[in-house]
Amino acid sequence: MTRRRFLAGSAAVSTSLVAGTSSAQPAFRFGLTPVFLDNDAIVVEQIRSTLATAMGRPIELLQRRTYQEVTALLLEGAIDASWLCGYPFLRWKESLSLVAIPVWRGRPLYRSYLIAARNDPAHDLASLEGGIHAFSDPDSNSGWLVTASDLARMNQTPDSLFRRTIFTDGHRNVVRAVANGLTRSGSVDGYVWEVLSQVEPDLAGRTRVVSRSEWFGFPPIVCRSDRVNAAEIEAFSRALLSMQDLDAGRVMLRTLHLDGFARPELQLFDGIAARMAEVGPQP
Amino acid sequence: MTRLLGRLPIAVRVPLMGAAMMLLAGLVASQQVLTALTRTQEARLEELTRQHVSGLSLALGPAVLRQDIWDVFDTLDRAARADEDHRMVLTVVANDDGIVIAASDPRRAPVDSALSDHFDLGAVPALDEISLARPDIHMRVQAPLTYQGRTVGRLVSELDVADLIDERRRAGLFLLLFNTAATGALALLGYVVMRHMLRPVDVLARRMSTDEGHPTRFTEAEIPDGDTEVARLFRTYNDMIGSVEAKADAERRLAERERLVSLGRLSSSLAHEINNPLGGLLNAADTIESYADRPDAVRRSAALLKRGLEHLRDVTKAALDHNRIEDRAASLSAQDLEDMRLLVLPEVRRMEQDLGWCIEAADPSLAAYPAGPVRQIVLNLLLNAISAAGRGGSVSFAVQTRPGGVQLDILDDGPGLSAAARDRLMTSAPASAAGGLGLRIVREMVNGLGGRIESARQDGVTRISITLPFAAPEV
Repeated sequence: MTRRRFLAGSAAVSTSLVAGTSSAQPAFRFGLTPVFLDNDAIVVEQIRSTLATAMGRPIELLQRRTYQEVTALLLEGAIDASWLCGYPFLRWKESLSLVAIPVWRGRPLYRSYLIAARNDPAHDLASLEGGIHAFSDPDSNSGWLVTASDLARMNQTPDSLFRRTIFTDGHRNVVRAVANGLTRSGSVDGYVWEVLSQVEPDLAGRTRVVSRSEWFGFPPIVCRSDRVNAAEIEAFSRALLSMQDLDAGRVMLRTLHLDGFARPELQLFDGIAARMAEVGPQP
Repeated sequence: MTRLLGRLPIAVRVPLMGAAMMLLAGLVASQQVLTALTRTQEARLEELTRQHVSGLSLALGPAVLRQDIWDVFDTLDRAARADEDHRMVLTVVANDDGIVIAASDPRRAPVDSALSDHFDLGAVPALDEISLARPDIHMRVQAPLTYQGRTVGRLVSELDVADLIDERRRAGLFLLLFNTAATGALALLGYVVMRHMLRPVDVLARRMSTDEGHPTRFTEAEIPDGDTEVARLFRTYNDMIGSVEAKADAERRLAERERLVSLGRLSSSLAHEINNPLGGLLNAADTIESYADRPDAVRRSAALLKRGLEHLRDVTKAALDHNRIEDRAASLSAQDLEDMRLLVLPEVRRMEQDLGWCIEAADPSLAAYPAGPVRQIVLNLLLNAISAAGRGGSVSFAVQTRPGGVQLDILDDGPGLSAAARDRLMTSAPASAAGGLGLRIVREMVNGLGGRIESARQDGVTRISITLPFAAPEV
């Protein structure tokens, strides 16, 4: 920890030095996904300015509705790095490498929640049979894969258990769909639901958690494998890892309800890989 | 009500009607304002709804085409949140088959339910049929959703129009209060002003109704100032009173003259009546003087003298009675009729006429009438008949009791009444200046007794019949 702090500190010094001579550098392009609390443009701007300060160069934030779009941008080199779900990362792990992983409540882990309306009598996945179910994204671990693999264990598919399923392109939207009664149930990122129950209790409060999955590796920050040793990726990695040492970084982390960023380890995503094996290859 | 209004004096009725018209005008004006307000509100609401629907239509088109439940809901939910006035209560979007894709409140209209389960679509107006006629705070409207020129679905929105209805209610209440106060004040003012303007008419009407029989002029102080029509009306009224008084005065004088004229005619015949027996009486006196020693002659002459003098006394008394005005209110008696015979007999004789006289009524019947007017009527008509019959003619007079009254008939074989004389006797037409007023006075006296006059001519005989009822009208 002491060593990490030291490194982070020296990184901050070096990035601030870089910042002094950075005006002519091209922008670092960072892709954002709907894992995020994407309803708040202020948060996005806060991330952009904080990263720019930390890296000492302009940051260009690109937001896309689906993981598929962001993944495509990353693979074709249109962005330098992106915040991606573990599931698409594993699908493209031959081409993608881990840069950093967020730390939430002391661990780089999160869970998937199965939610229903507050007064819904459902007590498990099977009791939600016949209803409309909201998934976040077909490329989301917590917002699709976990529930799909749970169903596979029951020899069911989403289309066989539920009357109808919809994709809402975002975890917050899953909560909105369930809270407003558009769907009976939903699969949502546990981190997002927990944060929402603090910042938007009126919204999350209208839903309740029916079941929680095991822990998975938190959605990581990734880059293309062929650029993992590039100087700007290394600088980006250092900036993220030292975020909690910066005033603006601490403000940003508080907004995101995260503790910080850590060096990623591939085995954190073994759980997701196991789930992927259960549902089989997807288109 | 109309009858009640009709009974009110004009000085009250006209101001009341003025006030009523003010109230009516106030009501009509309020109604107009409310109608205009409703039209404005409906136009505003239609514009608002049109914007709401067209905005949603534009945003929803692609999602409805794809039947993307989340996109449709997301759009509706965001629209509802962006609606600061909270006008949109519910919006339901259905596909072309009327199956709900999503609603802003999915609990009210769940996904995959039929749109017709939630709304009676036949009763939900289209955009151009919006009306605020029904005081429902939630107004519904339906519109087709078109995308790229084709209809892809249908939208039904429930809008909260409570503010508009409240606004209209408040405007209506304000108008009601304001107009009630304003028209009430105007009506009162109108009543007072019109009442003031019509006061002279009231004064005139009162004067005319209370001064019956004895109209009096307005003094200069009572006549309104200026040369207004009302002042002219007062002056005209004064002039009319003057004319009435002058006419009554003239009639009085004429009646007096007429009485004097008939008196004059009577006096000459009376002179004859007195003169004729005088020769006989003087002879009787001579006989008494010459044959004083012959008691039988003296007795015979004295008796002759006495009869002659008694006749003279009767004639003189009749003449005196006829002119004794203070006795004119006395009841009629057979003696009065006998007096008439005595009075006209000298004229009959002078004209060498034949006089028929038939009285079939006794005192109890005759006593129902005042002596004065009847004597005047009879004497006038008899003298008129004698004059008409001419020398050697025939005149007759008859009195008969009839059921309900007494009938007087005067007949003569003269040439009959002239048209002017007939007018004077039978009608109230203005009398021509020429000719006497005797017949007109007869008519007025008969009218005064409540009687009627008939005249007829048959076989060369003129008959004038006067019927006098027993119960003379109270005057």
